[in-house]
Amino acid sequence: MAVDDRSEAIVKTFAVKPKLKPTTNKSTPTPESKYWKSFKPKQTQTLVSSITSLAFSPTAPHDFAATHSATVTVFSSQTLEPKSTIAAFKDTATSACFRSDGQLLAAGSYSGLIQVFDIKKRSALRRLRGHSRPVHFVSYPRVDKLHLFSGGDDAVVKYWDVSSEISIHNLIGHKDYVRCGDGSPVSDDMFITGSYDHSVRVWDVRVSSDTSMLNINHGSPVEDVIYLPSGGLIATAGGNSVKIWDVIGGGKLLHSMESHNKTVTSLTVGKIGQDSGDFTNQYRILSVSLDGYLKVFDYSKLKITSSIRFPSSLMSVAFSPDCSTRVIGTSNGILYAGKRKTEETVGSVKSEWGKYVGFGAIDEPEKRVLRPSYFRYFHRGQSEKPSKGDFLIMRSKKVKLAEHDKLLKKFHHKEALVSALRAKNPENIVAVMEELVSRKKLLKCVSNLGVDELGLLLGFLQRYSTMPRYAGVLIAFAKKVVESRADDITGSEELKSHIRNLKRSVMEEIRIQQSLQEIQGIISPLLKIAGRR
Amino acid sequence: MIRGGKSFVSSPPAFSNDAKKLLVCTGDTVSIFSTATGLQISELEGHTALVTSVIVVPAPTPASRILCYCWTTSLDGTIKYWDFSVPELMKTINIQLPIYSMVIPSLLSQRSENDVKSPDIYAYVSVEDTKNEQNKQRKELSGQILKCNLSKSRLVRGVILTESKKPENITISSTGKYFGIHEKCQLRIWEVPAKDLKNITHRKLKLSHTKNLSCLAFHPTERIVAAGDVTGRILIWRGFGGKTFAGDNSANGRLLMDEDDKPGVRGDGDADSCTTWHWHSAEVKVLFFSSDGAYLYSGGKEGVLVVWQLDTGKKKFLPRIGTRLLHFLNSPDPSLSSISCADNRIHILKTPSMEILKSISGIKLPSPVPETFRDLCNDFVFDHTAGLVAVRTENYCIQFYSLFDDREISEVQVCERNHQPSDDVTIILNLVALSFEGSVMCTVETRMAEEGIGGFITLKFWECGSQNSDFSLSTVIYEPHREAAVSAIAFHPTRGMAVSASYGGDFKVWVGNCESQQNDKLIQRTRWACHAVGSYRKKPMTAAAFSSDGSVLAVAAETVITLWDPEKNVLVAVIGSALESIVNLSFIGESNFLVSASHGSRPQLAVWSMSKLSISWSYKLQTEAVACSQKDSLLAVLAVLPESYKGQEHDKTTLHNANGVILLFNAGDPIPIASWFVTKAKGGGLAFIQSRSSGDNMDENDLLAYVNGDHEYAVFNPHGAEMYERKVRHKDSISGEEGTGNFGYASMYGKLPLTELKLKAIEASSVMPSERAWESIFSGPSHSLPPLTKLCSTFLESFMEKRSVTMVE
Repeated sequence: MAVDDRSEAIVKTFAVKPKLKPTTNKSTPTPESKYWKSFKPKQTQTLVSSITSLAFSPTAPHDFAATHSATVTVFSSQTLEPKSTIAAFKDTATSACFRSDGQLLAAGSYSGLIQVFDIKKRSALRRLRGHSRPVHFVSYPRVDKLHLFSGGDDAVVKYWDVSSEISIHNLIGHKDYVRCGDGSPVSDDMFITGSYDHSVRVWDVRVSSDTSMLNINHGSPVEDVIYLPSGGLIATAGGNSVKIWDVIGGGKLLHSMESHNKTVTSLTVGKIGQDSGDFTNQYRILSVSLDGYLKVFDYSKLKITSSIRFPSSLMSVAFSPDCSTRVIGTSNGILYAGKRKTEETVGSVKSEWGKYVGFGAIDEPEKRVLRPSYFRYFHRGQSEKPSKGDFLIMRSKKVKLAEHDKLLKKFHHKEALVSALRAKNPENIVAVMEELVSRKKLLKCVSNLGVDELGLLLGFLQRYSTMPRYAGVLIAFAKKVVESRADDITGSEELKSHIRNLKRSVMEEIRIQQSLQEIQGIISPLLKIAGRR
Repeated sequence: MIRGGKSFVSSPPAFSNDAKKLLVCTGDTVSIFSTATGLQISELEGHTALVTSVIVVPAPTPASRILCYCWTTSLDGTIKYWDFSVPELMKTINIQLPIYSMVIPSLLSQRSENDVKSPDIYAYVSVEDTKNEQNKQRKELSGQILKCNLSKSRLVRGVILTESKKPENITISSTGKYFGIHEKCQLRIWEVPAKDLKNITHRKLKLSHTKNLSCLAFHPTERIVAAGDVTGRILIWRGFGGKTFAGDNSANGRLLMDEDDKPGVRGDGDADSCTTWHWHSAEVKVLFFSSDGAYLYSGGKEGVLVVWQLDTGKKKFLPRIGTRLLHFLNSPDPSLSSISCADNRIHILKTPSMEILKSISGIKLPSPVPETFRDLCNDFVFDHTAGLVAVRTENYCIQFYSLFDDREISEVQVCERNHQPSDDVTIILNLVALSFEGSVMCTVETRMAEEGIGGFITLKFWECGSQNSDFSLSTVIYEPHREAAVSAIAFHPTRGMAVSASYGGDFKVWVGNCESQQNDKLIQRTRWACHAVGSYRKKPMTAAAFSSDGSVLAVAAETVITLWDPEKNVLVAVIGSALESIVNLSFIGESNFLVSASHGSRPQLAVWSMSKLSISWSYKLQTEAVACSQKDSLLAVLAVLPESYKGQEHDKTTLHNANGVILLFNAGDPIPIASWFVTKAKGGGLAFIQSRSSGDNMDENDLLAYVNGDHEYAVFNPHGAEMYERKVRHKDSISGEEGTGNFGYASMYGKLPLTELKLKAIEASSVMPSERAWESIFSGPSHSLPPLTKLCSTFLESFMEKRSVTMVE
């Protein structure tokens, strides 16, 4: 039966297709999550112990400081390598903070001492003594260069005049350790602090009543608190939740984000950089938690837009003001510092190259009039692009036929099977087998196979017959093959070795099945009980 | 009442003389299609039974090609003569015997001498002799070939050419000199006398073969006859009838010459030689000589049209037509021919290139299903709102057929597999279900295993885009219920939810989750995922239905009905037991009644009250289909009449040969409101369908659609007492009427604007009557024209001259 393929067929041709794979339910990453993933975390050298705080310099190179054990290390944001180390601490250093001009750095310590360092000289310029217990939070106001505020485990919040080393205000109100705080982005006189007594207090140093302006109850010990860039909203982290409050509106709870599984340790505000489409210059809350997740929260849409997992508990996070670097500190001293690859470098190279070409005196060759004597004459207009209003008539898509499809079309069943086996794509092989089954020709094919082709088949069966995707077809088929070709198999040493391998993989599969059944036996009563409840 | 869904391929069609129309026998009418557009133009109505043949009166001269007369025969025992351009019935001849086939030799033979008194036209008809039954039952020969005088409208008495067991198809040669039939292993060929008179003896001969023959064809010019047999062989006898038909005066010498060698001719068959060609692997159904006699077309079960070169036996193929071929026909236009396929489709072919120009497709015929899967299949489902029926076809498609328009809307390829019509059935499209608004389709297909290897069941969800009416695949679920077969699928009436019940003892609720992707454009797509699994005492789930508001899911677990909350997947209630396993469940509209049907030895139709959770009433009926109207609490049941009922039939006229009855009930009332007797009820279906004219009166009742086992259907108003027959006329097909055949240039670019040319010509002539060089200068074949360089100057000159003249004026 040799039907020539030349003439048009009335019925559409279908290639043999493998079964579809289940697709993951996960949708394709949004541009935003792509943006956040583009900070490729580069693991820098392991620091000694837990990184208690991270801070970026507000000025141009945007170096960042990390506090860990009794040192503050300043890293370059370009190379992500340590630049300098300040080790003038008696106890664990905490809460490094740059002044608004980036010249000075303040840091607290477990000894209760707050020190102000010159970045260049690494010497302590001022020592602020006053806290009787470990200081966990020291911060400069956003612009003001002369003052500092700090909070410690003695539950006192202090407002310092740095030059004279005097505490101007002792703000009392918290009933437990003060662990965090932030200065308002709109006023240098206002700041917030969070404490383990579950409360967040808003202070204003202009009102020297020594009591807080506002008291917000977070509901669990507050680990971190930040102002959002507008100055009207604050975000607090405590327990497993991040809450957003409206401070202007009297401390109203706007939203509570509960997607972390363990205590949220640190918050920061992240900004989406210039080159990311619709989301340019939008702010996000970045939160890290002991469960190892970094979550990016869009507080305008109240939606988590990205979630990235890290292998260890995360303690601190910082995001550079120029949106190019993101740093995350872990509890075991690993610093994940990621720089975003900018297209500037690529772009600059390109433009340069363009210039280079432009200088060359190579002019566009003048277009000659096409005449029938040119070969191009016969190709004119073939690469014409359709204009916008044109109605396109699509040429019907050509069905791509693999070799086994062509052979199947000619009813050369055994050849089709062998050709699929040679192509070594297990999905296609199984699809061809299924097609042969529906033609009721599979076993006939097997009986027609030559010895070397049988070896090919047995090799395939040995490798794939215990794979769950194909097992449904192949296990029964392997049995039939072995039964029907027993004589040939005993005759050939090579086939025997295939059979030995097949036997081994079958034994292994049986073992797996048994252990699975054991597990099922354990689980099923539990499920029954759960279902009864 | 609207009827439709007739078979287009029950008997061979016929081309009109100008090849612009195709006359197709469709049930008891003849439909006329335009070959250019493939749409129906008109219909010849008048026969009361199946039309068996249609013969167009050929035009002897090109001028008379517009003549549109035809003869038709029917099983109602009449021969009718029509003018099909009008269309109008001109003459009826009643011979009171069911006619299976007719040939009219005198129409074909060229009458060179223009007789003033035109001789009587004789026809040869193949009839089933039902008159004297006792006599025939003894002899068991019911088929007869009789001669009929069409001019005088009566049978020629006493002329019975032959008798056979059953009526055979008569085949005639294109010159009208010979006609013949095949009966078992024999061909019988008669010669038509040159002057056909009333009592003339017909000379005949027999050619025999060892196998049963299935078709035959005569060569248009020579004395060659070809016959196909059931094993796929084609036999060609050359020079048949050398002895028998040779005439008295000529050639005793030739007779002697033929005596010695007749290669291949069996027995004392009167032919010079017999050759055999064998390509077909199964029965040959189509044999046809091309009009010049150089080629022989053959086709059969494989769905391949083979073109044999008669002299050399070389073959060309038109492969993979996809179904069995039934008839092949050449048209008077040498470039057109038609193939009738077993899937109720007629392809119009361009002959030399074998391209398909147009396809005329009717409703797909029921596809064969192996016995073991008979219970697992539903043949068709209805789309209530659009008035469509979805029919599953042999080549793994779902055909959507409009009941109101009587034509195919679309076809969805469910299983992407190359269909070979000669193969055994190994993949079956079991179940089809359409969601209430018709935008989601669910199909179940079963691949059978070969000796326990590789069989599986696939559940597929299809979605219909909002703009285009084509379904696209949304979700594929392999083995939805492990190994077990799916017994029923039902859609939630309002939400994107479906339930599939299986014989494996569980049912699954599937929910479509909408999601939009926005990589370059917004693509809305739905994924269907399992929402819940339920089972009741590990009993096979045999049927499922949602209530009209979707709050209750009823699943039949063999004989009991379990009611579930589909959202929470909680068993709400279990209602009593039927006698046999329930195969069909449905809620009756808004009313709180549920109807169940069960087959088996104790068939039952039961209506359950949902308020009392108990049986309301029941009948012992073998139900084939159950339909419930959405608006009213009406219930229509298609019941198959038991065999015993037939015996004691009292009223022969009403029952006729009906084997089913449609009963219409009000849900609460066991007494039927109305009933209709129907034929071919086995494998039939029933549904309430929204009537189309909803614009003027909104409270119009739903129509009832009945599709019988052969996929013929009727749509009628169940409340209307009058059963008037509404004409099916396609508004849009009027435009497609009389498609003008364009050739060459015109077919590519359309007609040239003729009027404009004429205007110009007139204008010019008024200006310059003497010379019109530009008109005549390029006329004539291009090879005889002078070189263009020469012509061009004169051509331009002529224009210039004209201009100058106008300037002067």
